[in-house]
Amino acid sequence: MLIPHPLLGLRDAQEFTYLGDAALIGRPAPEAGEAAFCDYVFLRDNPAGIHRELWFHEQGDRSWLVVTRNTLTHEILGAELATDVARRSA
Amino acid sequence: MTDLTPITALGGTAPRVLGAARLTLSERPELALASLALGRGAEPPAPEGLALPGPGGLSVQGALAAFWTGPDQWMVEGADLAETDFAARLQQAAPGAAVTEQTDGWACFEIAGEAAQIEALAERLVNLPRDAYAPGRASRTALHHMGVFLLRRSPDRLAVWGMRSAAGSLWHALSDTMARMEALHDS
Repeated sequence: MLIPHPLLGLRDAQEFTYLGDAALIGRPAPEAGEAAFCDYVFLRDNPAGIHRELWFHEQGDRSWLVVTRNTLTHEILGAELATDVARRSA
Repeated sequence: MTDLTPITALGGTAPRVLGAARLTLSERPELALASLALGRGAEPPAPEGLALPGPGGLSVQGALAAFWTGPDQWMVEGADLAETDFAARLQQAAPGAAVTEQTDGWACFEIAGEAAQIEALAERLVNLPRDAYAPGRASRTALHHMGVFLLRRSPDRLAVWGMRSAAGSLWHALSDTMARMEALHDS
């Protein structure tokens, strides 16, 4: 599997480690309450199809990426820097 | 005063060199290394006139050379400066940047030979697209499960920076692959 790194081009997926759902970027505000944090920490969607997820380029430039992947076919549809995603949604 | 004997990463009193028919592998203990990182939004400095390169890049200016290691992060090499306070010199040339001495945490091995031979060796060592080790490029990747930096200084030279504590394993990986390639040619 190859991941299209936005800065470095196609890189072997073995250079990366996987964290999970990219929704983790959207952490609730400190005063959001226990219920919101419980959902944030424990609840994940498990879609059969398009999924946005966090990958860490551990054996590369150590940047976090948001990778859009089809969980049925393993096709990778795109990747962008997680910092860009986080700043856009901030 | 205690009489200490300085040794290289491979434990010798002189840099190890392995000459084969087509490629030469040598230890480069005289290279100094320091990391340079910028705070968010800071303008990249140009220490001693050295332009810090973009992703995957490598640049040289006088005794200094820099390669990109991540967004707003670089490693800076100093030729023949390993026995000096290299980080202090770099910090002075790049005020405001976060500079950390790296020299003794790393070991550099350099492979010299014809471009086609170097590329054939790199193909066997790492899983990277060819342009990641084209002349003037630098990449971080995994080699035998070790994180390394590959620096293609020129068509006929490829440098590999690896962890100093794993210098023996890295030398083994490089020399073994070289020996197999030579055997392939001779068969």
